[in-house]
Amino acid sequence: MADAARPTTARSGPVRSAWADAVHYRTIDLVTVAMLGVAIGVVFWGWNQLYAVVSTASVFAFPPSIGLISGPWLLGGVVGGLVVRKAGAAFGTEVIAAMVALVLGNQWGMSSILSGVVQGIGAEIVFALLLWRRWGVVAAALAGAVSALCAVAYEWNLYWADWGTGWKLVYAAFFALSGALVAGVGGWLLVRALAPTGALDAFAAGREHHDRLARTSG
Amino acid sequence: MRRLVVDANPLVLLLVGFAAVVASLAVRDLRTGVIALTAYAVAGAVLLPSLRFALLRFVAVGVASVSVVWSTWLLGGHDAELALTAGLRIVVLALPGAVLAAFLDPSRLADQMGQRLHVPARFVVAFAAALQRFSALREVWVQLDRARRARGFGPTRNPVSLARHGGALAFAMLVAALRDAGRMSAAMDARGFADARTRTWAEPAPWTRADSGLLALGLFLALVPWLVR
Repeated sequence: MADAARPTTARSGPVRSAWADAVHYRTIDLVTVAMLGVAIGVVFWGWNQLYAVVSTASVFAFPPSIGLISGPWLLGGVVGGLVVRKAGAAFGTEVIAAMVALVLGNQWGMSSILSGVVQGIGAEIVFALLLWRRWGVVAAALAGAVSALCAVAYEWNLYWADWGTGWKLVYAAFFALSGALVAGVGGWLLVRALAPTGALDAFAAGREHHDRLARTSG
Repeated sequence: MRRLVVDANPLVLLLVGFAAVVASLAVRDLRTGVIALTAYAVAGAVLLPSLRFALLRFVAVGVASVSVVWSTWLLGGHDAELALTAGLRIVVLALPGAVLAAFLDPSRLADQMGQRLHVPARFVVAFAAALQRFSALREVWVQLDRARRARGFGPTRNPVSLARHGGALAFAMLVAALRDAGRMSAAMDARGFADARTRTWAEPAPWTRADSGLLALGLFLALVPWLVR
């Protein structure tokens, strides 16, 4: 695969501290963050067509329930982090995805990029607190939930400023739940599903998959 | 005049769009909201090359703001004026950026980020390279869609079936994007991308007098609601 051209990874490359490994970007890391951002931005744009319908329905039924269907917006940060496993990868993926979705056309204007920034920061905070070393399902769910809470803090001020406080809290709980399940656990499952395709072979997530296969097939 | 926005520096477009977000924070009563929106509408009517497109965006933003109006009415104490103000605030926040984003050229933005903002060159080039693959991704999407339909895996009218179809295509597109990233980075490194010390840029990143003017206008429009409130 392509990574053979540049095998500077933690295991096979020159010895580097774990810290340096978390901040040093290989070319493939950089390009993957950007490409994942673009691809997820396209997915965001497609999801937005459906979201516009579903969210209108949910707003008329029970407004805070939009939180429950907002989880997919946080996928960029979680998936970018879990695939590339570098400081800033989660943030970069989410922001690029938000930007691509905006350029393709959405109804949120530049606020879409700002949402991407706060959501990316949320996911990045969790991965940073775990020192960019934990990439399991718990870390992913936490990243999704904190990403949601950051988004909520932003939306409380810009979109839902005049809701009663109790309703704002209900919205926060719904969004955090959706972030943990859809973006967190869902993003983790998505990365697990990507590994067998060979698309992650240049990354630790892909190598772990092959290690698991080797162990189980004995 | 009508070329101003089309030729504008992408950084200016972004800044004017972000300024609209700041402007929306000043919309706390109906009068302020109407004045702010009118100011943006007049500027748009004079400067935009196509009003039809701006009106289409306005409809999309308007539909989104209906959900804000309704939810604010329901959860903010059944106050109609408060709810309408909240809806207008969303239009002021979103519409300028949603319209201007259509004129944002990613390659020109990357040129500006690298040469004017001095974002590290490797990041900028990787970003620009990925965005150039965008049309290739769309091609992948169309081919996959056709292949699935031709083999009898196409969606029915059922929304669940449509969602599954979309999900399968999205997954395949992610795989294609990741493989593309691998191929592209190998090609870039083969040309010395990772270890280059001095880099040059193919295109200049100019900042014209028109850019300064447009930025000043955008900042003024964002100031309007703060001045009249």
